[in-house]
Amino acid sequence: MQSLLRVVHGFALLTMLILLLSACTESNETNVGTTAKTAPPETKSVDAKADIEQAASKTLTIGIVNAPVTLNQINTQDNSASLAPISLLNDALLDVTDSAQFVPKLAESIETKDKQTYLVKLKSNAKWNDGTPFTTADVAFTLKLALHPKVDTSFKLQFIEGLNDIGKLDEGVTDIAGLRIIDSTTFEIKTKTPIDPLVFNERFGVKVNFLPEHILKGVDPEQLSTHEYFQKPTVTIGPYKFASHENGQYVEVTKNDNYYLDVPKIDSIFIKVLPAANLVAQLQTGEIGMNSLPVGLVPITDYDKVTGFDNVNVSSATASEPAELFFNIERLPDKRVRQAIAHALNRPLIVDQLLKGQAEIIDGGVPSSHPYFNKDIQPYEYDPEKAKQLLQEAGWDSDRKLTFLIPVGNKVREQAADILVQNLEAVGIGIDVQKFDFPTLIDKVEKGEHDITIFTRDYYIEPSLYFTTYKSNDPESVIRYNNPLVDELIQKGEQEIDEAKRHEIYNELQEVLHDEVPTLAVYSEKRLQVVSKNILVGKPLNLGTFNNVNQWDLATK
Amino acid sequence: MGRYIVRRLLIAIPVFFGITLLSFLIMNMAPGNPVDMLINPNTPKEMLELKKELLGLNDPLHVQYLKWLGGFLQGELGYSFSSFAPVSQLIGERIGPTLLLASASLLLGILIAIPAGIISAVHQNSRLDYMMTALSFLGTSIPPFFLGLGLIYVMGIELGWLPTGGMTTLGGTGGIGDIILHMILPVTVLGVTIAGKKVRYVRASMLDVLQQDYLRTARAKGLSEFMVTNKHALRNALIPIITVVGAEIPLLLGGSIIMEQVFQWPGIGQLTMEAILSRDYPTLMGLNLIAACIVLSMNLVTDILYATVDPRITYS
Repeated sequence: MQSLLRVVHGFALLTMLILLLSACTESNETNVGTTAKTAPPETKSVDAKADIEQAASKTLTIGIVNAPVTLNQINTQDNSASLAPISLLNDALLDVTDSAQFVPKLAESIETKDKQTYLVKLKSNAKWNDGTPFTTADVAFTLKLALHPKVDTSFKLQFIEGLNDIGKLDEGVTDIAGLRIIDSTTFEIKTKTPIDPLVFNERFGVKVNFLPEHILKGVDPEQLSTHEYFQKPTVTIGPYKFASHENGQYVEVTKNDNYYLDVPKIDSIFIKVLPAANLVAQLQTGEIGMNSLPVGLVPITDYDKVTGFDNVNVSSATASEPAELFFNIERLPDKRVRQAIAHALNRPLIVDQLLKGQAEIIDGGVPSSHPYFNKDIQPYEYDPEKAKQLLQEAGWDSDRKLTFLIPVGNKVREQAADILVQNLEAVGIGIDVQKFDFPTLIDKVEKGEHDITIFTRDYYIEPSLYFTTYKSNDPESVIRYNNPLVDELIQKGEQEIDEAKRHEIYNELQEVLHDEVPTLAVYSEKRLQVVSKNILVGKPLNLGTFNNVNQWDLATK
Repeated sequence: MGRYIVRRLLIAIPVFFGITLLSFLIMNMAPGNPVDMLINPNTPKEMLELKKELLGLNDPLHVQYLKWLGGFLQGELGYSFSSFAPVSQLIGERIGPTLLLASASLLLGILIAIPAGIISAVHQNSRLDYMMTALSFLGTSIPPFFLGLGLIYVMGIELGWLPTGGMTTLGGTGGIGDIILHMILPVTVLGVTIAGKKVRYVRASMLDVLQQDYLRTARAKGLSEFMVTNKHALRNALIPIITVVGAEIPLLLGGSIIMEQVFQWPGIGQLTMEAILSRDYPTLMGLNLIAACIVLSMNLVTDILYATVDPRITYS
């Protein structure tokens, strides 16, 4: 009886197992059917094409850890993740190299005699990826649409004549006073006052992407942002063209056979979104060809691990924009306290231990590779005794606890902040650490609930952009700083158009800020570039990664 | 029964609107707003104000809610604040993969839990029972993300047998086989976690029923042990399980937020996370709506199933 029971149960178990297997496959099939139906028909044809070309096609997959939120080339929302696909799909007048040099793309030349009128000649063979010529009509169309008061754009063109202080046209105005179309390949931009050509080159030359007039003509400006073109921007002017976009997963682009420069060698590129932990894993398995900067960072803490992989080359980019402490000057008005904090921080430890030596120590926000970096400034040394002494001079109340707001998301920065907290506590400064997601942190900062916070600013080519933070005109700014000398130097720097004099001004400004310490850089990472050995040309850069993407190539297997 | 369902559906309507109002208010109480993400010392304040104006964030809260409600009643969920794609399209693209993952995992979980629970109960206090209980304990106590990462490491990297994430191979030819291959790891992880919890319910419930007198009667009538266990006992033992499984479904969708991150599964979990971090209000509202629909309809389905399984329960 017992053994019979066991047989019966064994049988029951087996049936269940078979049921399980069949039910599993069944449910898959039905569900897949429904998802396939919702998939756009385009993807299928692309897939079919990929099938045929599979043997010969070269595909590169680039890993990124934040999802591109938009493909809108006139409203990138300054989202670094979105810039990767956008810069593959769009060429601007100029591109930039990682040493902040400009290289011409759509522009044949940009000339100015008085630094106020800029004459731009377009390449005569420039054309959209559907073969339509690219002309000054597209330039005028793009600017008028993007600068329309009801259109949201990331262009920052306040300096052009005829635009208001936020760089838009006033309500009811349709023509841009500072734009003059000369012929189909020549136009002129007039600025309100003379400006450093660097400003023009960065904000107009590099950051202005174009919209195809022949596709978007007649569109209502108020409905522009939700126009379907921006979900599937098939007609663009760039080395690659749009193939597919699965939100939060990947963007696929294929080479533009109509490209007006050398046609790219790699057939298609995937920008694939995945968490940082998986990025390292997939670089190892070869599913990802390279990481990307600055949003596809391989954590430096994984340095030893990735250098152990035998299918990739690992190198370090030039030191990037630093993670910086921002002090709320209203709550920490005595500069001796801020200097004490600078001396209290054991930054060499962070660089050697946490960042495996792949970083450098600077005090200001301008990265050391930047042309306007002041090389003469000596960083504050790690000297806890000096820090204690300064605190004593300043009459520091040892019962006071400083609120240190830390944004979550960047693991290395969070770990570095933990070390900073210990350093500060060691010299007798009590710290109350609070970690938040970025929007929450900004909300608290605007309300002035912080004493110290930490984040990383963007890389700017134009030096004045590093200093706007220190202006006294914004009562809700992160540092609430008010220093007439600094204000004056900032203004002089913005208005000066002579390069040598500008260097002088910005050197002085950096010295003053170094003494005052309203902000303090903690470390400037040399980000890792992890690139598969199959990739012959091409690697991620801090700046202008894709400026020569049409020359990139893969080894054929 | 029909009238009961209609009544339940009618009651669901005000509950549903209550949910939308509450989630709208709570969402707006969270610190920060969508424009904060764009804060940058080089963006003039006026520009940020303009962006807020264009997104309609400067309207009073009740106006914003009524605008959203108006759109919703016309079948419009609005546009995402970050990608400017229609919210219905964003959710439409993501809901399929999530349902696929959730239903496959639930199925796997149940198909493991029920036989394991029965065997455990029938052989109470045997070595087999202890083994099952220990395994279920293991399944419950391993954090899914940990198990997920472990499996990715072993199966994906060390052995290289299975893909480490995603739903399809990029640039691959696609097909059902490819999707199934990508499903194995996440479904295993979720399935094991569900099974771990459910085995103990099935076992307890089955033990309860096995003590009942009517089973002795059934045996006395000469029914085979197989019939007794799997027909008479199981059917009654399943009743409480239905509630537990029904309650699992909303949890499963919530839990998928983490699983979808670990396996880069392109479902609504991932979308929710992105929408929360960027304070993408219209997308969040859309997602809340879906969650509310699922919870409400699952409650209803559970109650109806109850009546079908247990003739003692009738609704009028």
